[in-house]
Amino acid sequence: MKSRIAQIALLLAAAGVPLSLLWDYSWESTIGVDLLWSPPHVSTYLAIALAALGALVLAIRERAARPLGAWVALWGAVAFLTAVLFDRWWQSAYGLAAGIWHPPQLLKAVAFFAVIGGSWRCAPGSALAGGSVLALIGVVALPSTFANRQHGAPFHLLACAVFPLVLTALATLGRHRFSATAAALAYTLLVGAMVWLLPLFPAAPLTGPIFNPRDHLLPSPFPLLLVAPALALDLLLRVRPGTARRFDAWGRAAECGLAFALVFIVVQWTFSTFLLSPAADSWFFAGGGRHWPFFLQIHPSAKTTFWPEPGADFTPSRALAATAFAILSARLGLCVRR
Amino acid sequence: MKTLLLLLLLPLLARAHVGSPNVFFEGHAGPHAVRVSIRPPAAIPGFAQVDVRVAEEGVRIVSVQPAFQGAGAPTAPEPTLATAVAGDAHLFNASIWLLRRGSYAIHVAVESPRGSGTVAVPLQASALSRPEMPPALGAVLSILGLVLFASAVWIATAAVPRRFTALAATLLLGGALTGGAVRWRKMDREFRSNALAQPRAVSASVRTAGSTHLLQLTRDASTTTTWDTLAADHGKLMHLFLIREADGNAIAHLHPVRRDGQTFEGVLPPLAAGAYHLYGELTYETGSNETLVTSVTLPSPLGVPAQTAVNMANEVWCQSPPAPVGNAAQPFALDADDSWHAGPRPAQPRTSPLMGGSRMVFQNAGDFIANRETTLRFAVFDSRGEAVALQPYMGMLGHAVVRHDDGAVFTHLHPLGTISMAAQEMLTPRAATPAPPPPGTHEVTFPYAFPRDGDYRIWVQVRINTRVVTGVFDVRVR
Repeated sequence: MKSRIAQIALLLAAAGVPLSLLWDYSWESTIGVDLLWSPPHVSTYLAIALAALGALVLAIRERAARPLGAWVALWGAVAFLTAVLFDRWWQSAYGLAAGIWHPPQLLKAVAFFAVIGGSWRCAPGSALAGGSVLALIGVVALPSTFANRQHGAPFHLLACAVFPLVLTALATLGRHRFSATAAALAYTLLVGAMVWLLPLFPAAPLTGPIFNPRDHLLPSPFPLLLVAPALALDLLLRVRPGTARRFDAWGRAAECGLAFALVFIVVQWTFSTFLLSPAADSWFFAGGGRHWPFFLQIHPSAKTTFWPEPGADFTPSRALAATAFAILSARLGLCVRR
Repeated sequence: MKTLLLLLLLPLLARAHVGSPNVFFEGHAGPHAVRVSIRPPAAIPGFAQVDVRVAEEGVRIVSVQPAFQGAGAPTAPEPTLATAVAGDAHLFNASIWLLRRGSYAIHVAVESPRGSGTVAVPLQASALSRPEMPPALGAVLSILGLVLFASAVWIATAAVPRRFTALAATLLLGGALTGGAVRWRKMDREFRSNALAQPRAVSASVRTAGSTHLLQLTRDASTTTTWDTLAADHGKLMHLFLIREADGNAIAHLHPVRRDGQTFEGVLPPLAAGAYHLYGELTYETGSNETLVTSVTLPSPLGVPAQTAVNMANEVWCQSPPAPVGNAAQPFALDADDSWHAGPRPAQPRTSPLMGGSRMVFQNAGDFIANRETTLRFAVFDSRGEAVALQPYMGMLGHAVVRHDDGAVFTHLHPLGTISMAAQEMLTPRAATPAPPPPGTHEVTFPYAFPRDGDYRIWVQVRINTRVVTGVFDVRVR
């Protein structure tokens, strides 16, 4: 396998990881029977196997250049294998009674980030790699990013802590002037594919109790509108001339963090209101409070409202804190080197 | 993605029976005689295996549907069709996925040219066993872990070729591993305390009131459930068994009364002084069952206490002590259905002498194999060898208690199986009342499968000539 083909295989496989995880979420939320060889799990295994193969070829062919990304991706594949063996025992021993984020699940998350991070390292300018990173973050943080939570402080604090790092790194490392925007677009299309394709397949719960009957696979929640803040960062870092010489790194981080926080909060706040409205109850947006896992016991009125959580109001002080998180996160993103 | 399944975690679920998780039921689904056995999964979520044996030919369809208690019938999934087992026209098998811990009504429907019928079998789904990692898997994971650790440090030094990179990476990874180990230990501890189905600990004590010894059971104050919401099982809120620890040659089957949400109290029969294993069985209004386990030391008896009398075999009281107005300060007599037995160690595996000269015969005594379904068959004969008609004892032809010599297994059996009738009634309020046992029969049977090998003792209690008698049998299971 030539290096270029291996690199493409690695990138495609890395994109396949968040897609398979979103499929798995939909499968478990619709059908409910979670087996080792269920189709979404098999797709994850194949994606990791393909990523391992591509990384191995790159590690051998490019060994003189010390391909760090390939090594990290390969490490992630071995970590995933370890996690799967560990997890199968854990599920047969504890089931879900011990909790969700148990050690095998944590190791799996680390493995996924290693595979996808390694693929990005191999092709830092790739929009697909960048989009895969954003998609994986979205998958891991899925329950925290439901539309019903997007007027709460935890959602914005989390988003401002995580996304600026990735987007600023994409903006500075990318080959093109709109690399962050391209990656955000790739993320939108990756997640969007699972919003639009999954509900085309008939499926029904095979176990109960069923609180939300379903007859087709559950669509993924609509992706966050990261395109907007990504565009702002591209304009600040790549498009506007002389930016690099105007400020030092912290100055640029402050500029980027502020821009991200402002754009993201305003855009996502508005969009989430739309997502919970009847106007979003369509195949394209999969909103309107219609789509829920079959096992979730949720009051009808809670399906279309923002959930009040104690101590989670988005106050001005918390908005400032979110901005501070965004600045720190952007500063870390600016540290990422090719 | 199992994140949302976090919402399904339930508080502690105590377990009925000890060390005997499989459920056996023998009864009718409409016009069809059926025998249902359910093997629940060891961890939840997981597959439960349901075997349905039908007595007649020509059964077309057998289906199984799990209905989660408290969620209502509309939330049950579509029934799963059971498949006929190759080579046995009367046996059907279905695998059903149980997603949540809790009480289920497993609806078994049978359809044949004779008609169709459904029966609900109660099942409690919960984690059954303490997690133990197989040594081989532990070795493989350890090796892989070492490889990952070493390679991560190597990659870190390749990425950041500085002087202290290896040390920093080692410390960081070591910290992460330690954090993971701490988290595992914490989750395991919480699992064993809150999620693992196990008998509920209670405290038992004996006090003397006048010429009567009273046994008092007190619930552990740290548990959140109380005994205020219990359902009567064959008319009793609690069935309590005392078994002498030293040799198992004395047993009592008692029915203490509830004093309040934390306490049960009852009169003790004249059992010899000494240490006794205590097992108490309850059914809650939710349909879930619970077994209480403790030990108690009994003092020397003060004589035979009064017992409310059963004058007729159909358990209608024709006479009783005057009932006090208001609550009695204490129980004043044994319950009409209380019984106790003391005797020598069983001399034979097939025959047990009964009080009054009769004998009980274990008709299929012999080799039993662990986890193989069987039917324990007993019959009663008088001293002349003639069959003795069994009278209903709390609505059934008999009650059996099965206990492994090491105490790891304890089960209270009925002719309809291991289920609690009260639980069945709670889960299916419109279930037909089981028909009374046919009069004149001298045989009683119990469907069961011994869960593990070893030595067991079986006590079988029947009522003959208005008295409850107990047959005792020792069994070796391979």
